[in-house]
Amino acid sequence: MRRRTHDTVLAEKEDEIVVEAARARAIIEMIEKAGAKGYSVVSNVSGKGNRGIRDEADLSDVFRNILIIVVAAEDIAARIVEASQSLLENYAGIVVMSDVEVIRNEHF
Amino acid sequence: MDALLEVVTGNLLSPMVLFFALGTAAAGLKSDLAVPEAIGKGLALYLMLAIGFKGGAELATNGTAGTVAVALAVALAVALVLSLGLPVLAYALLRLLTGVDIRNAAAIAAHYGSVSIVTFVAATGFLEDRAIPYEGYVVAMLALMETPAIVTGLLLARRADHRTSTESRGPLFSREVAREVLLSGGVVLLAGSFAIGWVTGDTGMALMAPAIADPFAAILAVFLLDMGLLVGRRLREFGAVGWPIVEFGLYMPLIGAVVGLFTAYSVGLSEGGTTLVAVLAASASYIVVPAAMRVPLPQANPAIYVTLSLAVTFPFNLIVGIPLYHAAARLIAVP
Repeated sequence: MRRRTHDTVLAEKEDEIVVEAARARAIIEMIEKAGAKGYSVVSNVSGKGNRGIRDEADLSDVFRNILIIVVAAEDIAARIVEASQSLLENYAGIVVMSDVEVIRNEHF
Repeated sequence: MDALLEVVTGNLLSPMVLFFALGTAAAGLKSDLAVPEAIGKGLALYLMLAIGFKGGAELATNGTAGTVAVALAVALAVALVLSLGLPVLAYALLRLLTGVDIRNAAAIAAHYGSVSIVTFVAATGFLEDRAIPYEGYVVAMLALMETPAIVTGLLLARRADHRTSTESRGPLFSREVAREVLLSGGVVLLAGSFAIGWVTGDTGMALMAPAIADPFAAILAVFLLDMGLLVGRRLREFGAVGWPIVEFGLYMPLIGAVVGLFTAYSVGLSEGGTTLVAVLAASASYIVVPAAMRVPLPQANPAIYVTLSLAVTFPFNLIVGIPLYHAAARLIAVP
């Protein structure tokens, strides 16, 4: 349920998905299908995880990760988290969900 | 053996190989030297455009329409057979000699049927340095050989599905794979530049020469510095690969080169053309095929196949392979 905490501030959920570039297209299609009105993409994120160090410095995209940020109502955000699990099997990926407060709530 | 050593050391002292070594050493020593990614990609585009255009222009200059069309058709058929067939050979060797599983073997095999554009470009630099001409349509073979191997690799990988599940298989080629095979940026630029070079011929070459002929070798050397940096970083991943597979990365190019040499001989190519076909058959992809394998074959480990083709086979071909294949081509090619 949406709950107003202030006249112009709205409580929402935020999903952050770090995923390897090769899988980005599938994840983004899923996000749109889940009903989110939009998303943001950071096209190069480096770091270290269970697949070792990952960065963009390669000619092919296989070691490049991207970050996808989605702000949406709780039910949609939860659907995205659930649907991402099967899509990320065998791929590099991190999914987190958190509470956020949104200003300019007409965007979401 | 002495002759071989002489051939290789002659190649070692070229600026191209030395800049490559500089890059590898800098990355190996964890220097912060880096070529910005956009510039590296820009240099790669330049090299593909230049090599494609030069091949097309050469074809327009040195042949009448009828003979050229036949030679081109034969060359393209040969290229298609090599790219589709070499992965089967590579797969058999991997499964027999390295103990790697089916999906990884299929993924690696696809890389070895495909080609390394940079290795090819370095080989043309090697030939131009020695004023050895080559048939322009070999460049069309380069463009054609880059992606068909992906198809063979995916077919081979299906052997794993067959054994582990009875579920119906998904389609072999998703739209993503088809796009990668047919419209890969490298293929489009190479084939397009080749066509433009062919259509515009001598007039076009006169216009483009200041940009694509004169500075070509120097820009290749800069690009190889970047390649060295990439290879040096990959060298740290050797642990993931394992020795039997590293050895494969050294003998497979030799086997491929022998196949390429005899194929080129059977269609009557010149010394330069034979060298380049051997290089095509010996080289392995590390840009297009890894990206194409990752979507349909996620269980195969990119740390293995990229490291193998980029950090083992590419340097081997650049330093030892090119002069060696040229020496062999000089022995067998039609004078």
